[in-house]
Amino acid sequence: MTAVTALPEAMPARERVGLPRLVRAELRWVFRRPRTLVVLGLLAAIPVVLGIGLTLVDMPTGGGGGGDGEGGPGADLLVAAAGNALVLPIAALMLTIGLMLPLTSAMAAADALAGEAAHGTLRGWLLAPVSRGRLLAVKSLGVAAVALASVVLMSFTGIITGLAINGWGSLFTLSGTTLSFGGALVKIAIAAGWVALQLCAIGAIALAISAGTEHPMLVVASVLAGTVVFSLLGLLDSLSWLHPFLLTESWQSISDVLRDPVPSAGLVDGVVRALCYIAIGLSLAYARLTTKDG
Amino acid sequence: MTTTTPALGVGAPSGASTPAVPLAARTRGLRKVYGRTVAVDQVDLDVPEGAVLGMLGPNGSGKTTTIRMLLGLVRPTEGEVELLGHAMPDQAAHALPDVGALVEGPGFHPFLSGRDNLRRMAAAEPRLSTASTADAVGAALERVGLVNAADRRYRGYSLGMKQRLGLAAALLVPRRMVVLDEPTNGLDPAGTREIRDVVAELHASGVTVLVSSHLLSEVEATCTHVAVLHTGNVVAQGELSELLDSGSPALLVFTPDGHAAMEALREKRIPSRLTPDGVRADLTASTAPAVLEALVLAGVPVYEAARARTGLEDLFARLTQPDPAGTDSEEST
Repeated sequence: MTAVTALPEAMPARERVGLPRLVRAELRWVFRRPRTLVVLGLLAAIPVVLGIGLTLVDMPTGGGGGGDGEGGPGADLLVAAAGNALVLPIAALMLTIGLMLPLTSAMAAADALAGEAAHGTLRGWLLAPVSRGRLLAVKSLGVAAVALASVVLMSFTGIITGLAINGWGSLFTLSGTTLSFGGALVKIAIAAGWVALQLCAIGAIALAISAGTEHPMLVVASVLAGTVVFSLLGLLDSLSWLHPFLLTESWQSISDVLRDPVPSAGLVDGVVRALCYIAIGLSLAYARLTTKDG
Repeated sequence: MTTTTPALGVGAPSGASTPAVPLAARTRGLRKVYGRTVAVDQVDLDVPEGAVLGMLGPNGSGKTTTIRMLLGLVRPTEGEVELLGHAMPDQAAHALPDVGALVEGPGFHPFLSGRDNLRRMAAAEPRLSTASTADAVGAALERVGLVNAADRRYRGYSLGMKQRLGLAAALLVPRRMVVLDEPTNGLDPAGTREIRDVVAELHASGVTVLVSSHLLSEVEATCTHVAVLHTGNVVAQGELSELLDSGSPALLVFTPDGHAAMEALREKRIPSRLTPDGVRADLTASTAPAVLEALVLAGVPVYEAARARTGLEDLFARLTQPDPAGTDSEEST
């Protein structure tokens, strides 16, 4: 009897697993999940389809598509993207940040807590034990990893497609200046990082919903509805007092990256908003997770 | 039905009466209310160290809720829980590394193989070093007989294989206590026997085991202790043998001449009645040797004599049957 009870003591008497090991296990799970891989593959294909589509439409690309910064940013971007290797990845991000990318974040967050609870797998880690705070930390990093992976993949295929279609000599900003390849990469990296941060904000809110339910679909549906409603609210001028609180409000600013010099006000607002949403989302998720029945 | 005193007059070894036996787990005044439903009420459960405690009860008697509170998954509405000497759920981090559990069926990811699922579980086990994870997973798979199916996707597992994988997760690390909630659900007879063997092995190596089940034969075969739950209360607990002996004591005597035996016993004023194989002698006011002496002296041939045991089934039925008086109106999930 004593010999047996002494057995666990003879082993390393650790009571916690290091966070890196948990994160590694989480990432291995996240990036082996067929759903994640399918969505990432689809997202990666978007810039390619976009580039080919715009080339086939054969829009007038006058002077490499630059120098036309006055029109609506969306249409403007698409015209520019047709003949510009720098603009294509950013145009792809801009097209998808409205719905596709938020849904990707929501899906990752939905699987992270609600999906695991539905499978009964959350219990396994809680019993190991992994404390609920560490569980949330691991899950947040997992969702952030998916957000980052989707954005990086899209940027990558966007750059490749842009270069393949337009060659090296087509790195113009919307303000008409020409960029070196390195300079263009920096701008794309800034845009990608900024979008990833917005996605993390969505993911944090989605995790808060995810902690409160066992139905992953509910999380995705809520984020979908939220994104649409926020975009609509942003269109109503009579609600201008509300606009500073809307996460979606700063999403148009992403095309600012393509100007030279970059007007930073909108982008900085977006960063601040995203950080606020992350703080609120993770707090709510933590509050829910620590009181939840396992 | 709110008292927790064992319904039987047995000296059920509770923590208070026999402090000599250290307890691996104990609950005091445990109560859990979901909305207006009382799932568990006033549960004082004692799990002696090294025991195999079978938790019996009909569906909805609060077995799983009690186990979930014991493991710190659910915070009790009232009452306290102690697991391996640590208060739950607040000190779960100290107690749970030494506790393996299979609760509410196995939970795994369908797109991962059994092995990968276990590796994911093992990554969170504090007692496993990163280097030893693969070996521990292999050993656990072998122990539950899943080696051949280890690299197939969990999606394609049969119910029994899923259950075995759940057991393997509970046995990843040498434990001080193992909690199995309905471990034989979905298993074929061979699988059930294997689970019994695993429980016996754990018991032999001094591990405390808590098994919940509604299969009486399973409990009778594997357990040293029993706790019977009914509508959220513990209606009896103690050593299995004591509980089984607790009916009115009697001796079963096998003899071809039952009438002569009854005659002989009547002379000694020992009440008895006829059974198909002989007589059943009441031992309330007598002893087994006295009965046998009376029979042998009277020249009654005795083939065999055995202490009459209340079957667990009888005991269970008596404890959990709805009260005819109708006082037992409390419903639970």
